[in-house]
Amino acid sequence: MVNPGYRHFKGEDWVDPTPPPASLPAVEEVGSTRAPLNSASYFIGSVCSEYNEDFMLCKNESRSPEHCLLEGRKVTRCAIDVLQKIQANCRDQFRAHWQCLDANNQEFAQCRAPEKTYNRCLFAALGWKKAIPDAPADRSLVYE
Amino acid sequence: MSGNPAAQDLPPKGGFPAFKYERNLPKRGPSGVAMFAICGGIMAYGWYKLHYALGERHELQREKMWARIHVTPLLIAEADRDEYRRRHAAVEREKAIMKDVPGWVPGQSVYNGKRYVPDTIANIPLHQQAGFKKD
Repeated sequence: MVNPGYRHFKGEDWVDPTPPPASLPAVEEVGSTRAPLNSASYFIGSVCSEYNEDFMLCKNESRSPEHCLLEGRKVTRCAIDVLQKIQANCRDQFRAHWQCLDANNQEFAQCRAPEKTYNRCLFAALGWKKAIPDAPADRSLVYE
Repeated sequence: MSGNPAAQDLPPKGGFPAFKYERNLPKRGPSGVAMFAICGGIMAYGWYKLHYALGERHELQREKMWARIHVTPLLIAEADRDEYRRRHAAVEREKAIMKDVPGWVPGQSVYNGKRYVPDTIANIPLHQQAGFKKD
């Protein structure tokens, strides 16, 4: 990777190829770009809320990266699990939604039509429901 | 002049037309109160719509924020793992380089406190590896 204006400054020079220490249990990384993560975010948030909160409480104790490796692995595994479940059950609707997000600057408001079918499919297949915390009760939900 | 009968000026037949002394302002358009009420009505409708539009925009912004909040732990966990790996590799390299110096503690913080401080300088390994050639 070469940044514009930095031809002498190769991105490869900044990559440390050393593998992680063997004492660390192996984890798969999520390896997803922004749009699928954005599309799945509310379901990651609701399904993995325990692991996420646990991790953030741990990070609150110390910002050191080695302090919360265990909790972080749980968070990542849970997120991978959610993404795989979405892929297994609502692959086409998921793809339609995240490709729409990618084409519309990650704006949820521009992608309500694919989002509706996607949310409906997930609710039918897995019983997952999107919910924005502290949404005002006297108004209709912004995503419906 | 004596034999000449006086030629008196007389009004025209049918008399002079009535003299307009009252102000004459014909009614043009709606009254002031009505215009005020119409303008007020338009503004009230605008504010009403704006109220709901702002509420909706607020909700959309909240939706985006929560989407980010839900994936934040995941992103931090991934970045932490990478940072830990790089830091570990850097300390291993430091150990190998400074093995002949007695009393050297590899990876020791420059601060006395226990608070975690990330490295301010990126530790680049390549030029430290054997066989590295600068092109």
